[in-house]
Amino acid sequence: MSGDGNHVTTNGVGNAKGITVKEQNQGAASEPMTLDAVRAELKNVKGKKLWRSLDELADTPDFQAAVEKEFPSAAQEWVDPVSRRGFLRLMGASMALAGLAGCTKQPTERIYPYVKAPEDLVLGKPMYFATAQPTPVGGTPLLIKSSEFRPIKVDGNPEHAYNHGSSDVFAQGSLLDMYDPDRSKHVLYRGETREWAEFVEAYQQAVAASKDGTGIYFLSETITSPTLARQWKAVQAAYPKATLVQYDPAIAGTWAERGIDTQYDLSAADVLVSLDADFLSSASYPGFHKLVRDYANRRKQPEKGMNRLYSIESSTSTTGMKAEHRLGLRASEVPAFVAELAKAVGVAGVNPPSYQWTGEQQAFLAALAKDLKANAGKSAILPGLYQDPVVADLALAMNQALGNVGKTVYVSSETVLPLPSSQVDDLKALVADLNAGKVNWLVILNANPIYSVPVDMNFASAFNRAKMVVHLGSHVDETGQVAPWHINSAHYLESWSDVRCYDGTVSIVQPMIEPLYNGRSAHDMFQALLNQPMLSAYEAVRETWKPVIQGDFEEGWRKSLHDGWVANTAFNNPGSAKTGKAAEKSAKAAAGFKGSIPAPSPKEAFEVIFRPDPNVYDGRYNNVGWLQELPKPITNLSWDNAAIVSGSTLTKLGLEEDDIVEISVGNGRVKAPVVVAPGHPDNSATVYLGYGREFAGRVGSGQGFNAYLVRNTWGMLQSTGGMRKLDGKWGVAITKSHYQDHRPSIFGGPGENTNHSLEGDEALGPRGIIRYATLEDFKANPNFAHEGDGRETPSLDTSLFPNWQYNENAWAMSIDMNSCVGCNACIVSCYAENNIAVVGKQQVRIGRNMQWIRIDTYFEGDLAAPRAHFQPMLCQQCENAPCEQVCPVGATVHSAEGLNLMVYNRCVGTRYCSNNCPYKVRRFNFLLYSDYETESLKLMRNPDVTVRSRGVMEKCSYCVQRIQEAKITADIENRPIRDGEIQTACQQACPASAITFGNRNDKTSRVAQLQAQPRSYQVLADQNTRPRTMYVAEVLNPNSELEATPVEVAPAKG
Amino acid sequence: MPQIFDRSSNALARMSLVLTGLIVIALGVTLDQLQRSPWVTRQGQRADQPIPFSHEHHVQGLGLQCQYCHTTVEKSSYAGIPPTRTCMNCHAQIWTNAQLLQPVRQSWATGQSIPWVRVHDLPDFVYFNHAIHVNKGIGCETCHGRVDQMPLMYAQNTLQMEWCLDCHRNPVKNLRPASEIYNMAWKSPSDDHPVWCAAGDSKTGVPTAQSVDCTTKNPATPGGAEMAAMDMATPPVGVQAGGLGAAAIPATLHFEKFTSQKQLGRFLVVHYKIRNSRDLMSCEVCHR
Repeated sequence: MSGDGNHVTTNGVGNAKGITVKEQNQGAASEPMTLDAVRAELKNVKGKKLWRSLDELADTPDFQAAVEKEFPSAAQEWVDPVSRRGFLRLMGASMALAGLAGCTKQPTERIYPYVKAPEDLVLGKPMYFATAQPTPVGGTPLLIKSSEFRPIKVDGNPEHAYNHGSSDVFAQGSLLDMYDPDRSKHVLYRGETREWAEFVEAYQQAVAASKDGTGIYFLSETITSPTLARQWKAVQAAYPKATLVQYDPAIAGTWAERGIDTQYDLSAADVLVSLDADFLSSASYPGFHKLVRDYANRRKQPEKGMNRLYSIESSTSTTGMKAEHRLGLRASEVPAFVAELAKAVGVAGVNPPSYQWTGEQQAFLAALAKDLKANAGKSAILPGLYQDPVVADLALAMNQALGNVGKTVYVSSETVLPLPSSQVDDLKALVADLNAGKVNWLVILNANPIYSVPVDMNFASAFNRAKMVVHLGSHVDETGQVAPWHINSAHYLESWSDVRCYDGTVSIVQPMIEPLYNGRSAHDMFQALLNQPMLSAYEAVRETWKPVIQGDFEEGWRKSLHDGWVANTAFNNPGSAKTGKAAEKSAKAAAGFKGSIPAPSPKEAFEVIFRPDPNVYDGRYNNVGWLQELPKPITNLSWDNAAIVSGSTLTKLGLEEDDIVEISVGNGRVKAPVVVAPGHPDNSATVYLGYGREFAGRVGSGQGFNAYLVRNTWGMLQSTGGMRKLDGKWGVAITKSHYQDHRPSIFGGPGENTNHSLEGDEALGPRGIIRYATLEDFKANPNFAHEGDGRETPSLDTSLFPNWQYNENAWAMSIDMNSCVGCNACIVSCYAENNIAVVGKQQVRIGRNMQWIRIDTYFEGDLAAPRAHFQPMLCQQCENAPCEQVCPVGATVHSAEGLNLMVYNRCVGTRYCSNNCPYKVRRFNFLLYSDYETESLKLMRNPDVTVRSRGVMEKCSYCVQRIQEAKITADIENRPIRDGEIQTACQQACPASAITFGNRNDKTSRVAQLQAQPRSYQVLADQNTRPRTMYVAEVLNPNSELEATPVEVAPAKG
Repeated sequence: MPQIFDRSSNALARMSLVLTGLIVIALGVTLDQLQRSPWVTRQGQRADQPIPFSHEHHVQGLGLQCQYCHTTVEKSSYAGIPPTRTCMNCHAQIWTNAQLLQPVRQSWATGQSIPWVRVHDLPDFVYFNHAIHVNKGIGCETCHGRVDQMPLMYAQNTLQMEWCLDCHRNPVKNLRPASEIYNMAWKSPSDDHPVWCAAGDSKTGVPTAQSVDCTTKNPATPGGAEMAAMDMATPPVGVQAGGLGAAAIPATLHFEKFTSQKQLGRFLVVHYKIRNSRDLMSCEVCHR
């Protein structure tokens, strides 16, 4: 009943056309949309308009219908006859139990005390141990929370100079990876359980029989451990003809395989340029934590100056969306454009291939080059990891030409990866040797080549030519299924190792728990061939660092374990002797560029871009439910990968979102769903690797499609190919059209009411959920976030309810919108801290995902060239909370410190609270989502948080268990709680330090100071909810030569 | 058509209405009583333990202090159940052949835990913390009863929410000096048995449990000061160094006399900084 003039309806298009009944049942997560309507809508709008999904923008009837339901399509069970019965049964049982729940007699419980208690263990008090997570691009220093020697939470090491305590989705998800019930539990020989000793005997005999290692091949994931590299060199010395091939699908063919020797210090850079470098969205980019922190620190206090980010990118990433200026280019155009840029900033010897650049692209180039020259020595150019390595060379040459090297860019003589290699070439050689029958024993170390090797190598058939294959892996995966020997590997949280992180610092990887299934590591595999075959990984790691640790070794070793790093191992450290290779390298770069630049593919060619998935990476985290369910940045797609295309490509191919398409590259064909990412370059599709696993486990198997089937050795990062429409819909689960509120359009209110993001209308006008200004506007008017109708906070006597008094603590949170880069680390951290359940794809499709915090992505501007704003949305802990007033059983109540408490055992599941929440942050357990059965998962749970059962509402609690713990400790010690003593799980994980938590009543606390600044605002303050969570408005720093807001780009381009 | 019900049916109808009401009330009362009954709460029930461990014998008979076994009661939410090793500290040498202790020796030999039955069992959604109670003047005996008189362990109290709230509403009635936490026979002060307490003003910043010194001996009487010093949680420096000498009580310590639990409780609420009942009854204190 929104009766205003600006309302565009599309006359019921797509309600039944071409949709099967099954699809209709599956609910509102995937309404088709008409792009014409979208454009028409955008044209009519003056000023800035924000939107979250295309359906919202087009305001389709299906979208309207979805909005009017609190949880979309809860009726699914009623339509499907089988599950309807199940639903009734569940409901019947819950009604019968409802009255008696309070009267149940507790079952007899037993206590199993220790026989000999470990020293220093205080039951109920967690212990913390430092370690590091090895990733193909270096280590992430970690501090693990251990409860009774079970790791229950993975976080960054707060004292480490690299990440200062921040973590990322991979680090957080690796906890569940370790407790994965589908991990391989035994050594297997042709499917039968064997002993490790039996394997070692056969293995040692075979290798010894080869005399010099002829026919012995090792195929390993990228070796990150200096000790493992040392062990390999020892093996090589003993068996000189043995061959090592490293292959990691996520870095093969990129400049990272060269070892990673360049570091950036963005704290000193005023102008940042990303050359297709997605350094803000995930830890797959080397140095992610440091780069994000330095980037964000330069944006926290715009009054003291801030940086400016330019992004040239071939896919839509959070880096591009955060950039002041973004240029979308097809992937193959990027090297040529970078070459033009290099030429423009004065790199000698660059010959860009001739190409027809559009006027907009030329203008961008000119402005960017000018800005770079003006900020010579104060800029940083970051090359994309998934671009031709020549881009990295060009970036270094430009940094050199601009005088950035030594100021914002450092080149070290050593590399993060101990054994740099040419992974694709080595793999090709291996396959050739396999086909030639030269391979007697192929030992695969934590790699899954059957699944992840490019399709044109025909690895599966070559594999069968090997006389014997050993697979060391955490799961009996695609390779483990076919390899005669399978050795179950130990997780990094279960084994000794070491790793270098971005700045070169060495961290010892120490086990947090005895291997759950007696797994082995790659160290054992190499060591078994050496003189002391039984030497443990622990001894081997100690041996490596004995010469390095100065002073008393035992003391230094214990300090290294305690601190989480080995002192004086960072690159460019004055204390450590380094060769002059770095200087040599930069001198070479200064002498003129010599590489050849690949020419862009023809403009009409369709490009397929391969990227590791932001959640499951190359497929290794495929069975981690937290990461599967996590909505990916930008697309908010969970449980699947997709062909991500631009809106106009979608129209050109006659597609609708969620249609099934066939992607073809070379001889490879694969079926995929299609999803739109605003701003994606036309005529290309981004596909994420890591899905379509056959043997991932109970969570990951069968999710998404396998993009390795269209990846070829001649196009590891991108290749030209084709895409055509097939019949049917895929049924993707996209969360962005969830959490809408219907009331503004029904009851009216300020604004136009045609948009439903959160509530009310979206623009910068009334209510402004997103508020931002340019740096100039901010300087002229620091109070911009509070000016305009509907932005004043109602006075305290507006409410009918008496006001609460908060005498001692008033917990509050401040979220810096300028810093948030939408990387999702907070969401996974919250999963681990608060025992949040995974619900599965079908439940996500009907809006029942349980994450307590979400990242709302608001797009702004044109479909082809939008900007996005990332807003973490969690319970706002309102002082005048709408939820509390409607709960009939007092299950959600106000605490003396201003928290909105959830008392699970009181909740009867009316869902009134959620209905009345304007922020849509409450989550309901429609079914029994929590896994009470699986033994290994019980070990992982946070013992301080209740595991919620069916029929219970839940929501963000500001990590109340941590607040209580801190209060008890402070009370016993007879002191007030210190500022910063309590960190919420999301705050702890955030690489950008965007989240601050504390006591607002203490005027000296950081949160109080942040909330007092004029940029701080409350979302929907006009509702008089008085949220305790406040957001700090964004300030952008655009280049005045380029337009401040994105311009309309003709959709027909390309 | 003849009447089916004659006049007498009216009485029956009225009676059945009344009866229905009574039955509903009776059912309610029954359920209510059932809910609070020892059958549900297991209050006072002696569980069938693998070893008939006697707290009476070990506490009263042998004089073991609570923390000898429950080591983490002051530090953690759990008081701690002793490992088999704690039993073996003595029983490796005494009663080494006792049949009753066979499960202990078996546990020690095999490395398998002794499977005790949990006597004080809170629901899984309740988070109780021993440390804060013990540090703020709630004695073991207040909740667990006279453990020193229990040959077999049982729950003295229901441990139901109303029982918890009863104290959280008004902690005054149960507070005692921190030095008396482990005293099973502690009696609330009365006219016959007064208690003298002094709050150390200079002690801000020290743990709450050490902020008050109490004694049951009158510090004003001859020799009382020395006795008081021995009673205190933190004896003055002079006592530690030179035994019962002249430097017994610092002049700054001002003792107050308490003759009722109410007076003492109020004094301790202030000096132990017990939170007000609104804070203490907030749901998140126990439910997370």
